[in-house]
Amino acid sequence: MRVNVNLFTVLFVFFLVADFAYILWAYIDSGGQRIEWVGAIGIGLSAILAFFLQFYLRLTQRSIGGPLPEDRVDADIDDGDAEQGHFSPWSWWPFLLGISLALIFLGVAVGIWIALIGAPLVLIAVIGWNYEYYRGNFAR
Amino acid sequence: MTVNRPNTVSVGVIVWLGSEVMFFAGLFAIYFTLRSTSPELWAEQSAKLNVPYAAVITVILVLSSFSCQAGVFAAEKFRPVRTGRLWEFWKWGAVEWFYWTFAMGATFVIGQIYEYANLVSDGVGLSIDSYGSAFYLTTGFHGLHVTGGLIAFLLVIGRMYSVKNFTHREATTSIVVSYYWHFVDVVWLGLFAAIYLVR
Repeated sequence: MRVNVNLFTVLFVFFLVADFAYILWAYIDSGGQRIEWVGAIGIGLSAILAFFLQFYLRLTQRSIGGPLPEDRVDADIDDGDAEQGHFSPWSWWPFLLGISLALIFLGVAVGIWIALIGAPLVLIAVIGWNYEYYRGNFAR
Repeated sequence: MTVNRPNTVSVGVIVWLGSEVMFFAGLFAIYFTLRSTSPELWAEQSAKLNVPYAAVITVILVLSSFSCQAGVFAAEKFRPVRTGRLWEFWKWGAVEWFYWTFAMGATFVIGQIYEYANLVSDGVGLSIDSYGSAFYLTTGFHGLHVTGGLIAFLLVIGRMYSVKNFTHREATTSIVVSYYWHFVDVVWLGLFAAIYLVR
């Protein structure tokens, strides 16, 4: 994680410098007529993207209290075997959500009535997925 | 030796919000490019905007971020529902704060729809000119994001009612929805500054 933080910090500085250079260069190139907005905003917000990620990863790194195994040269594979997160082993809801979203996009492409069938299915899938572990046998 | 792993849900949401930054970067780029190519049209059409009105709904949206954060603080103390009377807001749980946030967010969306209705009757339409296209694309996509956040708040409130033991997992859900909400709020501040103040 330390590597990720450093990478995004470097990227932030790079995009910041690149943005200034781009704005100035495009301005001079147009004979002082105009600012090239697409690149100016695109590169500038890339800098914000990198800053945002390094900031959050830095906070996360601080809160976990100590270097992660992947940041240590003397770590073993089993040092990283703590719980990674909760992943449902058999859920069908993501599949239904994928199918319903596919119906919506198909509907936008070929005929809006198909999207109208997809929309309530998306609602069912989102609610089903969200409450999968809050009802029935696996209720928490 | 084991270390706490980073919370995959929070880090994942932040990375996704990073991609959302770039999505809105595209919209901002559309807006400013069209603005630089047709300045007269911009001066004419943006004069029709009701800035004080937009400022009021902006303030409502910003305040909703504060009540959302108050809900997160309650969730982090594992207090999903209020422990006092309804008017004792300092004893509110996450659910009460999120209802309040929902109400303010919904007010913003309704306010935006009313603003659209007024603008359309003043001749600012989605396919009338490039100003209309840029205006409705940027503010419209933002409005859709706010609506998505409102649905997320409903799902989170539902979870808090249905859960038997309120744990870190439920707190995480509240926290990541608040990340999204704050993000959408900050994007609106950028849009408000670009569209209503800079024009």
